[in-house]
Order: sequence, then structure tokens, then C-alpha cells
Amino acid sequence: MIEHYLFLSVILFCLGILGVISRRNVFIVFMAIELMLNAANLGFVALARLHVSMDGHVLAMLVMAVAAAEAALALAVVILLHKHKGKLDTNIFSLLRG
Amino acid sequence: MLEHIISIMIFVPIAAGLGMLFLPLGRDASRVLGLAVSVIVVLLGLKLFLSFDGSTGAFEFVEQAPLAESLGISYRLGVDGISLLVLMAAALLFPMVYLLFKTRPRGYYCNLLIVQGAMIGAVCATDLVLFYIFWEVMLLPVFFMIGLYGGPKRIGATVKITIYTIAGSLLMLASIIYLGITYHAQAGEWSFDIARLSSLSLGGGVATLAFFGFMVAFAIKIPLFPFHTWLPDAYTEAPTATTFVLSAIMAKIGVYGVVRFVVPVFEENLARYALILACSGVIGMMYCGIAALAQKDFKRMLAFSSASHMGIIALGIFCMNIQALTGTLYQIVAHATSTGVIFLLLGIIEERMETRSIDDFGGVAYKAPVFAAFFAVAMLASVGLPGTSGFIGEFLIILGAVKFNPAIGVLAGTTLIIGVCYMLWLFQRVFFEKTNERTETFRDLSPIETLTILPIVVLIIAMGIFPQPFIDKIQPAARQQIVSVTPAVPAADEAVAENTLLIQARN
Amino acid sequence: MEQTTYLGFIPLLPLAGALVLGVMHVATCQGNRIAEKLYGILGCIGPVLSFILALKLFFSLKGLPAPDRFLTHEPFTWFSVGDLTVPMGFLADPLSSLMLLFVTFVGSLIHVYSIGYMAGDKNFGKFFAYLNLFLGSMLILVLGNSPLVMFVGWEGVGLCSYLLISFYSEERENVVAGNKAFIVNRIGDLGFVLGMAFLFWGIGADGFDYLSLKANAHNLTPALGITVCLLLFVGATGKSAQIPLYVWLPDAMAGPTPVSALIHAATMVTAGVYMVARFSFLYIEVPVAGTVVAWIGILTALLAAVFGMFQNDIKKILAYSTVSQLGYMFAGVGVAAYSAGIFHVFTHAFFKALLFLGAGSVILALHHQQNIWKMGGLKKKLPITYGTVLVGSLALAGCPPFAGFFSKDEILFSALATGHTGIWFIGVIVAGMTAYYTFRMFFVVFHGTPRDRHSYDHAQESPRVMTIPLIVLAIGAGFAGFLNFPAIFGGHQQVSHWLAPSLAEHHPDAGLGVEFLAIGGSVLAFVIGISIAYRKFFGGAEEPVYRGFCKFAANKFYVDELYATIIVRPYRFIGKAIRQMIEPYITDAPAQGVPWLYRMTGWVFKVVQVGYVRVYAIYMVIGLSIMSLLISQSLNL
Repeated sequence: MIEHYLFLSVILFCLGILGVISRRNVFIVFMAIELMLNAANLGFVALARLHVSMDGHVLAMLVMAVAAAEAALALAVVILLHKHKGKLDTNIFSLLRG
Repeated sequence: MLEHIISIMIFVPIAAGLGMLFLPLGRDASRVLGLAVSVIVVLLGLKLFLSFDGSTGAFEFVEQAPLAESLGISYRLGVDGISLLVLMAAALLFPMVYLLFKTRPRGYYCNLLIVQGAMIGAVCATDLVLFYIFWEVMLLPVFFMIGLYGGPKRIGATVKITIYTIAGSLLMLASIIYLGITYHAQAGEWSFDIARLSSLSLGGGVATLAFFGFMVAFAIKIPLFPFHTWLPDAYTEAPTATTFVLSAIMAKIGVYGVVRFVVPVFEENLARYALILACSGVIGMMYCGIAALAQKDFKRMLAFSSASHMGIIALGIFCMNIQALTGTLYQIVAHATSTGVIFLLLGIIEERMETRSIDDFGGVAYKAPVFAAFFAVAMLASVGLPGTSGFIGEFLIILGAVKFNPAIGVLAGTTLIIGVCYMLWLFQRVFFEKTNERTETFRDLSPIETLTILPIVVLIIAMGIFPQPFIDKIQPAARQQIVSVTPAVPAADEAVAENTLLIQARN
Repeated sequence: MEQTTYLGFIPLLPLAGALVLGVMHVATCQGNRIAEKLYGILGCIGPVLSFILALKLFFSLKGLPAPDRFLTHEPFTWFSVGDLTVPMGFLADPLSSLMLLFVTFVGSLIHVYSIGYMAGDKNFGKFFAYLNLFLGSMLILVLGNSPLVMFVGWEGVGLCSYLLISFYSEERENVVAGNKAFIVNRIGDLGFVLGMAFLFWGIGADGFDYLSLKANAHNLTPALGITVCLLLFVGATGKSAQIPLYVWLPDAMAGPTPVSALIHAATMVTAGVYMVARFSFLYIEVPVAGTVVAWIGILTALLAAVFGMFQNDIKKILAYSTVSQLGYMFAGVGVAAYSAGIFHVFTHAFFKALLFLGAGSVILALHHQQNIWKMGGLKKKLPITYGTVLVGSLALAGCPPFAGFFSKDEILFSALATGHTGIWFIGVIVAGMTAYYTFRMFFVVFHGTPRDRHSYDHAQESPRVMTIPLIVLAIGAGFAGFLNFPAIFGGHQQVSHWLAPSLAEHHPDAGLGVEFLAIGGSVLAFVIGISIAYRKFFGGAEEPVYRGFCKFAANKFYVDELYATIIVRPYRFIGKAIRQMIEPYITDAPAQGVPWLYRMTGWVFKVVQVGYVRVYAIYMVIGLSIMSLLISQSLNL
């Protein structure tokens, strides 16, 4: 049974990666990152249930807290970016080009 | 006070330099502060010179305090005949810079102060790690001064000198660590004291590598052929005071380092590679001397000239007899004074005429007789005319070189000819011939400038006529170095044999 | 022990004069000038006092018994390192006292003469400072009691020679001539220094002054002996203008004429001969070296005489005659006739100084015209100069009983008596050539008709301050020879006897026949030489156009050009090659290589730095994937 949960988790994670890689809108990228975090959460919770241990639950709670904090910070950054350039396309921000 | 005189001479300039960095002083104020500190150092230096005994060849004014006891690193200072004259060069020549170059930014004077303190520290340190620390500290202000206040191509020059000297320093650091470990292995305790390290018996390939680690570091600083390529660029692009510091004093610390650290520790390797090193010195002398003749920029020409002389000075170490070594130690200060005056005078000329191209000059001697007379004396000392300081050292080195190897001696002697070729040519083009519209307006030295340079010019002549008081102070220490080299080879073999026995017994 | 401190004052007085004059000149040359008279008087004080001291020295030496005739004065140790101990010491013995006498005497006269010759020059003070400096150095050279102290003077005179040759330094050629003199001298000095070094390692450990060296000379191994003697002779060829280093002396005529008289005729150039005589205790042990010296000397004499016959510049003629006469001197000391060589130095100082000063008088009268083919008929205009130069010319040409005859004959006789017939034969030929070119110059300048009317009309005799030294020197040139009147004419050879304690020399015994052969040869050569010159030039002749060999000789066999091609140009070329090729491209390679390496690496890596967040995410995923794979493999999952 556990495989199903884990498969779902992997699929969600891969979708998240795909989202980060392929989408150019900052919001979508951000959502994809959230998706990856939640994929990890799903794995944690499922395995915690399997092993009858609370560690996984604790970690999942922690990840959710981090995700919330990150959301607050990241949204602020996004707003700044929008102010700066007027768009939310990630391809505009390529200052690190060698 | 006398027991801490060296520390005072080291840390007063460094403290003043660091203080100046943070205080909001104007140009004039920082110059006056620098001048005051350098005058204090001069007075202390004279005091030290006069109270120096030197008859035993041992370290005097020794100071000692532990720095890192578990590793045997300590704050250990002392002066003996080998370091005395280098120390004097580092202590006495600085006030000239503050007196001659008046309109420089604060950072310039601040770097000068730090470099002076660090150089004095490097010369007096008798602990290898302490020496390394001062060595690195003295290099940093040079990088800053070239990079910040240098000529138009200063960045390239700074990169070059940094790459070279840092590479050398790292090799030296590795060698120092090797020596410490070897000492720990042989004596069972940690120490970086040079007096103890010289009792080491070193053999094998790693020791040779360590020897070359030291040699390369010092050869870059001296510079010995073929490690000289940073020099023309750095000397040319550096502001005059830095060129002066580099050529008059810092290059000598390279020579001093070889005498102080390489000769007693690596006597066996030195004996084995002496001929190659001597050849490097002679080739460098000839190569740079010939190159000097073809330069169009006088600072560059004098850079090559300086490198050429350093080749001869370094040669004196490798000949391993008392005459050559004493000659080297004497020539260190003789060359410091003559080349120092030459670079300072050319700094003045460069500042007033805003050109360094030899072709732009002519007839300066008619417009500025005092200037020309001073330059002539320094030039004659630099080509080794008897009666000036340059002759004594050069003659002793050639004499020793003939004993070491007649062929090397003959080649070393050609410095008499090579030096005179480019110097006379320079003198002709700058001071003689007809004046042009540029030199027509050249002002002679002001009274203050005259009085600033006059003592050094007098010293150049006095050291040519009365060298013995100086030689008396350096000779006992030099003799000890020679004694430590000559009979050492069989003794070292015995020590190695003893060591192997010990190791076998332990196993 | 006699008080000998005054020995130190002999060189010190002119040196002090140089310092005072130099400071005065530097201090005042920009603004208000000091009167020339003051400079002149100050300049002459030092040399004259030195001459008086030299006289005192001479008489106190004379008061001593012959074997003890030496006085030393060692004020302090110059330097002492290991076995090498060099006192700053002075040694007065018969040899140095004789040199002292005529150096200070001729030097003082030339100082006086210069007051007239240099009048009106804007660097009058500087000139006298240099002259004093020169004289002081020369006296150190003569008085030094060890090779090293001699070397101080040796280099000092070289420096002054440089300064004085390039005295008119606004003209590039003059400075180049000065540079040439200094550099060529330095080549010789290298030989001297190396000679001293080898000598020290041979026998110097017990003291490096002449007396100790003399005592130990027999310990020198033959190989080292030859090395030392030849190296020292290299030094002498530089200073005394012998083959192959003679090239600087003719160019040195760029200096003011009194300089040519003092330095390049009477004093400095004879230093090499003096040095060989000083080291006679070495050379006598190594006859091979002596033979080399003699042959180089006589060949130089021949070569310079050939050049001298085809020169047009009055000073150049005299310059080559100096080189030629120096060759004679070396031939003399080479065949171990040291006193003969030194005696020729002595007489030569008088007549050559006289000739140069006379030439200076002519040159000044004609407003710095030096070409003899622009002169002529000056006999009437310059009577004193004419008379004195005639005496000088006769002495130079070797006319008996003038000074040059006795000294030259002494050398040729010694060569013959020691079996160096070849040297004698060449010497006689050169004597004839000397007579020819001397009187060629003399007749062209003073006889015949004026070739340049304008300058002839304006010519007038020089002031008394110049003519009196001429007359004094002419007396010397006329009679100095009698000081060493040969025994064959019933003389006592006072000079040779005087010098004997200083020199390691044994006089050859030769029959009367040899003496007469030597004298007869010289006289015959003189007569032939002067009569050819008389026939060709006495009545007046026009400037000849040289062809063939004569052109070759007039161009000095193109030796200067040869040196330029094989030494100077390659030297410059190497320098240029270093600047343009080796420095930027070869030795600089490591310094340029390191930044280049970093730049190339960066260039490779910069391709992947696209700047898009998404792409970085891909890299991260790829990296993570690889890591996961590796971990899973290593855990054998």
C-alpha cells in the first residue's frame, strides 16, 4: 500500500520540478515549489503512519511552518520584483549571466 | 628602553600607520606625522647602531616572548652583524621620502609607515614564523601603493608582483612548516627558532624541495634571474617612494633572508647548488645590465640596473667565503644608499617634467648643478668607483668569486664594464647635451631638498673612504655563517647516520 | 723614524682644492659669478704646494742611504676582511718620488697655463675643480702603497679623464668621446681588478702592500704569475692606450687642450707604465709576460706612428704620437729595462706637455682651428710658441741631445742588448716615422705660406701666463735627458741609479759595439725621417688627397668601425632584443600565463552561466539525480 503514497509523492514532486523548470511566471514557479514541499510532506506523513512514529508528523508540521514563512518572504520579494521591472517573467532577471 | 628598542622601532611606525588610517587627518598633517615617526626611527636606529657591539657575532638587543607555546612559535627579535646594516637601511632612509614628496594622499604615507615597521620586523625576527608574518605584512602595503597610487599601467604591475610574491611566500610557508615538523621529529619538541633550526640535519629530496622553496621566495624578492620579470613593471609603475622602498630596502631583505635562513639551515644543499645559483646571479647581472642599455624609460632602465646589481650582491652569498659574504653585506647598504638616491632624484625629475622618456631630456646639468652633482655621486657609487661605497662591496664580491670559481669571478667582473655603459649613456642623455624647451625650465633642488639628500651623499663617500667601522660590526657574524657552512658537510653526514641508527633502534 | 704625515697631504691638497672649487662653482654658477682670478689662484695653490712637498720628500729620500730609501705613511686601515688587509697607506720610494716630482711640476705648469687658455669660459671654476681632482687622484695612484690604493687613483684619473673629455658637454661627440674613454678604461680596469684578485689569492694573505708582496713574490706559482702579469697588463693597455684598447685616446682630444697635455700626454696615460714598473718584482719573475708586454708595446708604437703620418688634426697627430711613445715605454719595461721605460715617461712628460700646450697656443691664436692644412707660416706671428714647439719637436723626434733622444735610445739599446732584435728593429723604424710626422706637422704649421689668410691676420701670440709655462717646459724638454746621461758619453745615469732600489732590474751588459749600433740606428732614423719631411713640407704643401694604403691608414685601418661592428652593435642589438622580444614574450610568460589560465578556465565555465533561474534549477536537479544515483549505487540498493 505504501508504494501508492510514495508514487503519488514522487509524481507530485516531479510535477513541481517540471513547473519550476518550464514555467516563467514567478507565481507559478512559486506554486511549483510549494507543490514540491507538499510532495515531501506527503511522503513524511505516509512513512510516519507506516512506522507508527511521530517524527514524520513533526517534520511535516515543520515544513508547513517553513513554507508559510517562505511564502511571506517570497511574496514580498515578488512584489519588489514587480515594482522593479513591471513584469513577473523570470527570464527578465538574468543578471548572473556569465 | 634599550632592551625593547627593536620592538619600539617596529611598532611605532605600524601603530602610527594604522592610527592614521582611521584618523581624519589632512595631507599635511599625515605627512608631518609620518616624518616625525620616521625621524624617531632614525634616532632609535642611530642609537642602536652606536650601542651595537658586534665583536662576538651573537644576537644583541634580544627580545623574547611566547606567541604559541604549544607549537614553539615565539616573538623573538635580535640584531647581529648580518641584520645590522639592512636594519640601518630600513631605518635611516625613510625621512627623505616624507621630505621630498609633499603632496600625496593620506593612504600613501600610512602605507609607508606600515611597510617600514614590517620591514624592520622582518629584518630583526629570528623566529621563522614571526619572520614570515612580518614578511607578508611588508608586502601588503606595496601592493596597495602600486595599485592605488601607481602609474597608468599600475593594475597589470600589481597583478604581476602579487602573483610572484604570493607564490614565493606560499612556497616559503610550506618550507617553514617542513622545517618545524622536521625539528619536531628530530628533537622531540616544536621550535621555529633559527638558532635551533640551524642544528637540523637535513637530507633527502624533501629537504632539497624545502631549500628551493626558500630560495624561490627570496629569489623573487631579490630578484634573481629568471625571477625578475615582475620587477621592471613594478618599479616603473610604482610611485617613486614605493620604487625606492622596493629597490633600496626590500630587495635587500631578500638577500638578507638567504644569508640568515638558508645559509645556516641548508648548508649542504647550498654547497651542492652554489654553482648554479652563482651562475644565476652572474647571468642576471649581465642580462639585466644589457637590457638596461636598451630601455627608453629611465625608471625602467634603473629597474634593470637595480636588478643587475642585485645579481652581483646575491652572487656574494653563494661564493661562501668571508670576503664575498662581507662584501655582500656591505654592498647591501651601499647599494641601498646609491640606488635610493638615484630613484629619489629621478622621482623628482619625473614629477617636475611629467615624463620618463630619456629622449625628452638633455642639459639638466646646466640648469640644476646640485641635482646633477648628487646624481653623479650616486651614479659613481652605483658603478663601483673607488672612493665611494660601491667599490668596497663590489671588489670584495669579485675577489671572493675569483676564489670560488675563476670563471665566475671573471664574469662577475664584467659588471664594472656593463654598469658603466648604461649609466654613462643615461647621464649623457639626461644631464649633458643641449637643453630643450622642456628642460629649459627645470628648477634645481631647493635648499630643503638639498639638505635632505646631502647626508646620504656624504654617507656614500664616507662609506667608501672609511668602511672599516662598518665591516668591524658585520664581520664576526659573517665569519660565523661561513664557519657554519664550511666544515658542516661531513658533520651533517654523521648526524644523518646517527639519526638512522636512532630510528632503527626505535623500531 | 721621520715624520711622514706630509705624504698624505700631497694628494690631499689638490683634492681639498677640488672640493672647495667644486662647491664654489656649484653654488655660484647660476647667479653672480666669482672672478676667474680667484678660481685660478685657488686652483693653483694645491698643485704648487704638492710640488713643494714632493721636493721636500725627494730631498729627505736623498738623505737616506740607497737601500733604505722608502717612507711610508698609513693613517688608517682602509678595510680588512679575513686575510685581506688594505691599509690606506702611502709609499714614497725613489720611483714614486720621481713620478711625484714631474707630475706635480708639469701639473702646476699646466694649471697656470690653463688660467690663460680657459679665460672667459663659463665653466672656468668647474674646469679647475676637475683638474685638481685629477691631480689628487694621480698622486694617490703614484703614492699608493698597495695595488688597491693605486686603483683608487687609477679609477679616479679615469673619472676625471671622462669629465674633462666631455667638458664641452653640449656637443654630443664630446660626451661620446668621454664615454668611450671611460668604458674602454673600464675594460682595462676589469683586468686590473682580476689581476689583483688572483694576486691576492696567490700571495696576498701576508699583507697586500707592495713591500709584503715583493717579499712573497717568489711564492707565486708560474701559472698564476703569468695570469696576474697579463691581467695587470690588460689594465695597463686600457689606461695607457695600447693595442687593443688604444682607440679612446685619439677621441679624447675632444677635451680642452690643457687637459690633453696634462692627462692624455704627461700623466695619466703613463700610469700603465708606472704600474708595470711598480710590479717589476712580478714581471722579472715571468719573462714571458714581459715579452708580451714588449711586443704589444712596440706594435702599438708602429701602428700609432703609421696613423700619425696621415692625420690632419694637430691634436690627433700629437695623440697618436703619444700612443706611439707609450708603446716605446712598454717595450722598455717589457724587456725588463724598467728604469729606461720610466725615464722615457719622465722626458716624455716634458716634451709632450710642451707640444700639446704649444698646439693649444696655436689653436687659441687661430680661434679653435685644429686642421693643420688651414695653418701655415705661423713662425712670425707666434715666435715664442714657434721656438718652444721646435724644442719639443726635436725632443719627440729624438734629435740628440734633446731629452727624447736619450730616453728612447736607452730603450732601444736595452731591447738590442737583451736580444730582442725584432723589437729594436721596429723601434728604429718607428723612430724614423716619428721624426717624419713630427716635422710634417711642424713645417706645415709654422713654415710655408699662410693657407688661411683671415685667421692668419688675426693670430697673435698668447699671453704671458701661457708662454712662461711653455718656456719652462722647453727648458725641461731640452735638458732633462742629461739627467740620465749614458755612461758611454761619460755620464752617470743618475736617474737609473736613483730608481734602482725600487725596481727589480738587472742591467744588461753589452759591448760598446751594441751601444754604437743602437745610437747610430736612432740617429740615422731621425735624419732620414726629418729630411723626407723637410723635402715634402718645408716649402709649403697643399692638403694631400689620400689614396690606397694612405687612405686606409688615414682612416685608422677602420679599427673603430670594426669595433663598432663586432662589439658595440651586437651589444646594442642584444639589449634591444631583450627589450622587444625576450622581456615581453619569454621571461614574462609565467606572469602572463597565470592570469591567462584563470581567464581561460572562466571562459569555459561561463558558457553554463545563462542567468535564468529555471536553468539553474535544471542543473540542481541533474546534480541531485547524479548524487542520488551514486549514493544508491554505493549502498547497493
